[in-house]
Amino acid sequence: MFSSGTPLIEVQGLQHIYLQGTPLEVQALRGVDLQIQAGESIGIVGPTGSGKSTLLQHLNGLLRPQGGEVRVGGIALSDPTVDVRAIRQRVGLLFQSPEDQLFERYAGDDVAFGPRNLGLGQEEVRERVRLAMEAVGLPFEYKDRLTAELSQGEKRRLALAGVLALQPQVLVLDEPTAGLDPQGRQELLRTLVQWRAADGRAIVLASHNMEDVAALCDRVYVLVKGQIALHGTPREVFAQPEILMSNGLAVPTVTEVMLMLRQRGYDVSTAVLTDEEAAQEVEGLLHGQTL
Amino acid sequence: MAKPSEFELVGRVTIGQYLPTASPVHRLDPRAKLVMVVLLIVAVTAGHSLSALGILLLAVLVVLRLARVPVGFALAGLRPMLPFLLILALLQVFTIPQYGATTLWKWGILTVSDRGLLAGILLLARFSTLVLGLSLFSFSTTTTELTHGVEHLLRPLQSLGVPAHEFALMVNIAIRFLPTLAEEAERLMKAQASRGADFGRGQRSFLQRTRQLLPLLVPLFLVSLRRAEELIEAMEARCYLGGKGRTYLIHLQARAADYVAILATAALTALALWMSARNVDAQVWRWITAYL
Repeated sequence: MFSSGTPLIEVQGLQHIYLQGTPLEVQALRGVDLQIQAGESIGIVGPTGSGKSTLLQHLNGLLRPQGGEVRVGGIALSDPTVDVRAIRQRVGLLFQSPEDQLFERYAGDDVAFGPRNLGLGQEEVRERVRLAMEAVGLPFEYKDRLTAELSQGEKRRLALAGVLALQPQVLVLDEPTAGLDPQGRQELLRTLVQWRAADGRAIVLASHNMEDVAALCDRVYVLVKGQIALHGTPREVFAQPEILMSNGLAVPTVTEVMLMLRQRGYDVSTAVLTDEEAAQEVEGLLHGQTL
Repeated sequence: MAKPSEFELVGRVTIGQYLPTASPVHRLDPRAKLVMVVLLIVAVTAGHSLSALGILLLAVLVVLRLARVPVGFALAGLRPMLPFLLILALLQVFTIPQYGATTLWKWGILTVSDRGLLAGILLLARFSTLVLGLSLFSFSTTTTELTHGVEHLLRPLQSLGVPAHEFALMVNIAIRFLPTLAEEAERLMKAQASRGADFGRGQRSFLQRTRQLLPLLVPLFLVSLRRAEELIEAMEARCYLGGKGRTYLIHLQARAADYVAILATAALTALALWMSARNVDAQVWRWITAYL
């Protein structure tokens, strides 16, 4: 494993221009700096078109840096001779609506796609499929189910298992809870927390859902128009709602409630992230009034 | 600079895109442009004169310029087809009947004759002109304009039972979803590559390569079918019942410039056909050899 000083992923001055040299040129990233340490969960929030997806695709070498540098475990991705498949094994990327990518007839085969691409033997593949399916809360017997007959939430978890079966060190997720019902969302978040608990793993979560970010992330980067506009712990970032709100983003609902209370003259802290903290603040308020 | 991503499909599909440069070409009536495209297709496919094709290609390039489309951008649409075109051209070179032709080069059973060589070059010139012409049309015409144009032009045939509106709508939807499909394919390729998939690398048999594409093709079909169903529902939810009794938001109005453009294209087409009928190429060839 790495010493805590070396970042697992390091992004420096990253720039990316789509369709460079054509009339449809778009600059998606304008010098992004970012660090991910082992054991951390990083949130990346930003309005639609802020460059989030572009940034995520640089983390596992799907896109190569046009300017600046991306280092994964010290390996520079701008080097054209770099073995991107090894990078992609190390940094697992789950796309938005990942259930669209399932293609095998049987669920287990789809999870096995990654390990088979790594050229592993049958026993090893089987073991990895079992571990990955268990990690996402799907019984191993589901491997023999028809992929098409799984529910939406099960398909999403199966797709996640397909990435986890690569046994990556960093898991990068793009809007993983979008379109899930509240229960499916809770289960997925719990799965992610459990997965990260193992030594040296890290998560990068891009999301519009501030509750997800508040629940999962140690640090948050706010990406606006291809640049990092704000960076800090969720508490620090959500304490500056103006920057978020003026860019079409939100703060978690509980934080917003506290902000509204404050606007009406109640003395509460706005640096709350969870329901419990909000309840405490309100309780304090009630006691203050009655006593 | 690092090489661009191996997945940039969207960037490569330039045909079917609209480039809003507000040029005089963009302002032409879509019906006029459709007629011009049809004339171009006739001129390119019916004629077999290389010098005529050269003139047509030049004309297309000039109009590209008028439309303020960077020629490099238009050519980028040609690039992915180039390998196939070259193979087709080579097939032409080697398989065209050799009777009465002059042999230029011979090695074993492979023979290159002047006629074969000409056929190969003709094929390349034809395809380049066609692709550039069609790209030009799509760069300068929105799909809405296209649909209206097709529908208006087909309307006289409605009494013969041709479903003009439905046909136009089909064309519109097909073109509208081309870039969407490319985007979807790119996303899926990246998702599968993130799981270690590998598309078309290394020496493999046809069957193996087809199998390699399954992780891309299966989800692409599923997503497209679902999108089609959603589209149907969205249209029916807005009371779409086909062409009967539909009124139009846009009424096309042809102007003098449109007639001039059609006449110019018709003249070019006539010239191209005349040149191949009169075998002008032979004359041109004589001039060139005499000059050299």
